[in-house]
Amino acid sequence: MFPFPHSIFSLQLEKKEVMSINILYEKFKEVSFTVLPVTILVVILNFTITPIDHILMYRFLLGALLIIIGMSIFLVGTDIGISPLGSLLGSTVTKTNKTAIVIFSGILLGFIISVAEPDLHILAGQVQDATGGATSKINIVMIVSIGVALLLSTGLFRIIRNLKLNRLLTIIYGVIFILALFTSPEFLAISFDASGATTGALTVPFMLALGLGVSSLKAGKNSEDDSFGLVGVTSTGAILSVMIFRLFAKSKDSTIEASTIVAKEINSSIFRPFLEQIPHMVKEMFIALLPLVIIFLIFNAISFRLSKKKFGKIVKGFAYTYIGLILFQTGVNAGFMEVGKVVGHSIASLDNDLIVIAIGFILGLVVILAEPAVHVLTEQIEDVTSGSIKRKVILFTLSIGVAFAVSLSMVRIVVPGLQLWHFLLPGYLISIFLSYKVPSLFVGIAFDSGGVASGPMTATFVLAFAQGAAEAIDGANVLVDGFGVIAMVAMTPLIALQILGLIYKIKSVKKDVDG
Amino acid sequence: MISSKYNLCCVIIDYGLGSKVLKLAKDIGVSGGTIFLGKGSAKNYLLEWFDLTDIRKEIVLFLAEEHVAENVLDAINKKFKFCKPNHGIAFCSPLENIVGSRSCHVDKIKESRGSDDIMYKAIFTIVDRGNAESVIDAAEKAGSQGGTIINARGSGIHEKSTLFAMTVEPEKEIVLILSEKDKTEAIVESIKNEIKLENPGNGILFILDTISTYGIFKDN
Repeated sequence: MFPFPHSIFSLQLEKKEVMSINILYEKFKEVSFTVLPVTILVVILNFTITPIDHILMYRFLLGALLIIIGMSIFLVGTDIGISPLGSLLGSTVTKTNKTAIVIFSGILLGFIISVAEPDLHILAGQVQDATGGATSKINIVMIVSIGVALLLSTGLFRIIRNLKLNRLLTIIYGVIFILALFTSPEFLAISFDASGATTGALTVPFMLALGLGVSSLKAGKNSEDDSFGLVGVTSTGAILSVMIFRLFAKSKDSTIEASTIVAKEINSSIFRPFLEQIPHMVKEMFIALLPLVIIFLIFNAISFRLSKKKFGKIVKGFAYTYIGLILFQTGVNAGFMEVGKVVGHSIASLDNDLIVIAIGFILGLVVILAEPAVHVLTEQIEDVTSGSIKRKVILFTLSIGVAFAVSLSMVRIVVPGLQLWHFLLPGYLISIFLSYKVPSLFVGIAFDSGGVASGPMTATFVLAFAQGAAEAIDGANVLVDGFGVIAMVAMTPLIALQILGLIYKIKSVKKDVDG
Repeated sequence: MISSKYNLCCVIIDYGLGSKVLKLAKDIGVSGGTIFLGKGSAKNYLLEWFDLTDIRKEIVLFLAEEHVAENVLDAINKKFKFCKPNHGIAFCSPLENIVGSRSCHVDKIKESRGSDDIMYKAIFTIVDRGNAESVIDAAEKAGSQGGTIINARGSGIHEKSTLFAMTVEPEKEIVLILSEKDKTEAIVESIKNEIKLENPGNGILFILDTISTYGIFKDN
């Protein structure tokens, strides 16, 4: 045939057959590395200070396996389904060049996504109990969804109008601060937890992509700067609406007893909890995913008009997301939650406050890695910055942040006088202050990561751990002390990542450019 | 002015290895480089059915004197095992001029190597966001073995606008395809027809000669 230069080796196929290293395997590897630390931690605890019932332990390991498989599939699904849909929507809506359409779409999207969020329904149940049943659960879901919708719309409006993120956040948190003065401690915890409840595993990747879709249209440096921040702005919608709702619904005394996480009796079967969870998750995740599917179908009919191939790809993406989420949630709920509670309880029973705090720290350090939205965020950061802000750096910083959040929550449980706002107030003040000092890109990343960190893993495992600990310690109120953990997990990353931003700012000054 | 003594080297490699490639290149004498992200496409019928075909890639660009470039690519080739399929691709193109790189001095020594035949061409196609996959499909129909997609922004005379308060640069995708010399014509023709490049505003296509290529295997 043709004469070949010596550098071209053999006559093999380029990218065929040998493609065993496919993305699913890559994701699987990546996810394994992030789920293993928390698994190993629990195994070590099992053999050292807190022996766990064998059946629970097997369930935990099975849960870890399901989480790894589920999360891998889920992440591939978001890559080819949810994220492309989000950015398509973002850019399509913006290209209409009509403010009214952007605002209306923001409200519409925010509302239907939020209404379908399973975590929000759990939260609404809590609020219903907290207000002594004065308002129905569905009202609360509606009110929070409206809050989320308005703020999502505000967030989009900010990007298209080039408003500064730090100023907008200062205003929003200013309002929250004033409202907080009229809010009881229990309710404060619930309102901040609400922001975690509305930023679920599905909504976060979608909102991240939506913001990116709008900002990627921008020219110049603004494009990068405004790529993040939408999740951060949107999640405050839940805080605001719960607080405002409380102002008007001050009917009965807020004595709260209900614990959302129902302690099931340890049943002797390893597999039964999983089998019980699956049908439940199949239904719940279907409801959560449905709005996105409907949005996709409607927009595709009106404006995207994707080719058959691209349409098929997004549909497959949805299918992966669905399967992945079912496996992941089943693993977390059936395998991790119970163990979290047991570990929390038995560590707190050791009567050594330092150990409780230290274990909280380590737990926070490892558990955040297993949060699915964290993968989506870090990957998006790498894409936007062309890999100059490395995934590992963000992960490490987030880990430290969440470690402080969990350990400080343990301090709060152990020390009776400490209240949630003792941490939240200075925390948010520092965050807002820092937002004027660090590069805009990091402000967006930091406030987004707050929503990202408070995902399904923290909402179940860490919360169960905290409640377990609160149960075991005299004088700790399961509800007041046990909750608020998510609020902490959503707050500390703001500070941690902005400090990282400061470091980048200082380091990125070019050194050897002389004259 | 510099005669064609400088080469533009381009290495396409799996995500995460870009920094290592650049470090190796620096060790050998390249003064610096630029890394950006791209998306590779895999060919496998099963994976295609599942749509699991996008693989994140990193693309490393650096400039080097001809003989340095040769050494660097050789070293990269050995270290990252480009001799095996799917480990990465590297190629060099001759350059007309360089500005802004002080460490590059004109080297008068002319080395002649036997393998100056241009065997491969690098085809760059710049199209609107979303069309890159059609480009790759068209190229594959004409015998190409895949390509790399790079996200980009751009602005031509046919499209420039302001939306709300923001200046908009339309989103683009750059498709990089390496093709054998004799297939280039067919591939370009196929892309041209698919994307209708003849019509204004549909995209741009240009072709670079490559001096040496690594990691590309002939479909036989």
